[in-house]
Amino acid sequence: MQIIIRRNFVAGGFLPRIADKRPLNRVAIDQSTVYPVKMVFILGVNFPERNLLKASNTYTHIGEPQHDPKSLESFFGIGNHTSSRLLARFNIHPTCRVGELANKQVLDMTAVLSDMKIENDLRREVLNDIKRLKETGTYRGRRHALGLPVRGQRTRTQIKTPVKLNRMERRL
Amino acid sequence: MASAWCWSCLSRLRPTPQAVLPPSSAIPRGTSAFHSSAIQYAPPLKKKSNSMTQLKYRQGQTLRRKKKKTVEKARPPAPGERKAMRKRIVLSNPNALEVEGMQEISAENIVDARLRGSVLGLPVPMLDQLRAVQAFKPKQGWSIFRRPGAVVRRDTVEMGRLFEKISGEGDAPEKGKVVKKVVTGMKGSGKTVHLLQAMSMAFLKKWVVVTVPEARELVSGDTAYVPVEGSKPTQYIQPGATSALLMRTVEANREVLSSLKVSQKHEIAGLKPASSLEDLAKLGFQDPAVAWPVFKALWTELTATAAAPGMEKDFQPRPPMLVAVDGLAHWMQNSAYRDLDFNLIHAHDLIFVKHFLSLLRNGQAELKNGGMLLYATSTSNSPGVYALEVGLDQMAARQAGTSPTSPEYPSAEAYSNADPRVLDLFKPIEGKEPQMELQNLGGLTRDETRGYLEYFARSGLLREPINEQWVGEKWSMSGGGIIGELEKLGRHVRSAAIPTPTA
Repeated sequence: MQIIIRRNFVAGGFLPRIADKRPLNRVAIDQSTVYPVKMVFILGVNFPERNLLKASNTYTHIGEPQHDPKSLESFFGIGNHTSSRLLARFNIHPTCRVGELANKQVLDMTAVLSDMKIENDLRREVLNDIKRLKETGTYRGRRHALGLPVRGQRTRTQIKTPVKLNRMERRL
Repeated sequence: MASAWCWSCLSRLRPTPQAVLPPSSAIPRGTSAFHSSAIQYAPPLKKKSNSMTQLKYRQGQTLRRKKKKTVEKARPPAPGERKAMRKRIVLSNPNALEVEGMQEISAENIVDARLRGSVLGLPVPMLDQLRAVQAFKPKQGWSIFRRPGAVVRRDTVEMGRLFEKISGEGDAPEKGKVVKKVVTGMKGSGKTVHLLQAMSMAFLKKWVVVTVPEARELVSGDTAYVPVEGSKPTQYIQPGATSALLMRTVEANREVLSSLKVSQKHEIAGLKPASSLEDLAKLGFQDPAVAWPVFKALWTELTATAAAPGMEKDFQPRPPMLVAVDGLAHWMQNSAYRDLDFNLIHAHDLIFVKHFLSLLRNGQAELKNGGMLLYATSTSNSPGVYALEVGLDQMAARQAGTSPTSPEYPSAEAYSNADPRVLDLFKPIEGKEPQMELQNLGGLTRDETRGYLEYFARSGLLREPINEQWVGEKWSMSGGGIIGELEKLGRHVRSAAIPTPTA
């Protein structure tokens, strides 16, 4: 497992991050890099100003590459449900761009996000849960280890995802 | 090995002469080439390479198709380009013929009933103003004619008379009155163009025009919203939308606003004592954070009848105001915004919306210098709001003389869960305040239809002999002169020449 250490400017500490395949809209913080667009820090991650915090349905084009990535939902553990509630909590409209946020909103958002169990904490928790299932020798743990569906799905067809994901060294 | 017996006639075959036989490589000697064929000479079976039938371990049995190759597309348009194309408004078509003797709308001819059925052009200097208040909509057919214009119909002349009365000279009895109208009508009946005609008249009469061209934009959750602290129930300011409203208002009414001076005391930072209303409004669109206080200040100025003590120096009487809103139904339900508890915010809790809706109830008290409120519904972009339908039915019934206590008076059905806030808005108004009226736009009359279609013909779009019978046919086909349908019939260009009668 490759781990990139990025400096967490907001919290002022080091935050180990698992490298994922989505670095396009999330730029590793590096003092030497010159950014072509202005960036906004949210929880130690640098987002381009033009990014949408959370697009409404009208702004997502099915089948097209998404030009306006949803910044909040790029955190592991934040999906549609959580991001909508976060926005409502700070009175931010759904089509707001990262650059339109007031400084206070950015800081408040970061404070709330840092209290939530997201990103590596959440990854670790999920992996620990799976590990526990395997170690106690449960049926579910076995299915995880064998690369088979865990929740009673049929195995005759359509098990691409478990074949891909469920393995001894599970990754997230 | 094929048998040397012919199985159909049970006779033994004689060897075929060498000359008749095909080359020996193809068929060996001693066998018949046509009676039956030997399996061993058949070409060897190809190994089945098709994975469609050969299943691997744990592979799906559903039909698998080859994936289509992704076709290389041209580069997509730059950000914003698609929207710009979508919102583009073309007001002139150089290919269309110029209509000779076409009159322009003017302060004098708006009350001229003789012009009914003729198309009046919009003066060129006014086009910028109309564009600024977004009176033109992208899907209207402005681009098929040489210049923009609108047909004068009965409702137009009536509206012209109202404008004349409200801005009347001297001690006219109707001066300073406020007319409140909800404009409805079926699809294509010309509600938005009716608003445009109202705006053009207001510009001619030097009124101040305040418009909300798309009511939906305020409730669709696309602009910022800020709660007002201490308000109960919590109300919300929309700084971005207010700033845009100020921009529209200043752009369209620059001449009037720059001639009027600030006459009241406002607590707005950066406001100089003798500045014009234009300068006041500009403060708002430079900084959206103060847009709402600035709009309120501008509103107080425009509705003022006298200057505050000590500021009488440059006070000039304020002109009447036209307030036009298009797409009213969007304001009659929950907006897309959420409050802190993730509940949807009702549109009436947005201060911007509330301000304009409250004018329907107390417009006369608010607009002390008189004016007109035109709130149009839309049929092309409208959420179905049951309470609004009931409210409009009730208004229609009251106008027809039905008493609100009579059993015929429409009311919301039991268990229909009609929005009480919307029903309250359309209740009869008590006190001195005038009632709001319902204006239902119908079709054109036959005479107006004829004038309208003749305009198409004179613009070179229509190549038909226009006579009474033909006009009657089109009038019927358009559902009784619905102007949007007439436009479709009129712009349908016949490419084939009219057949000439043979001798």
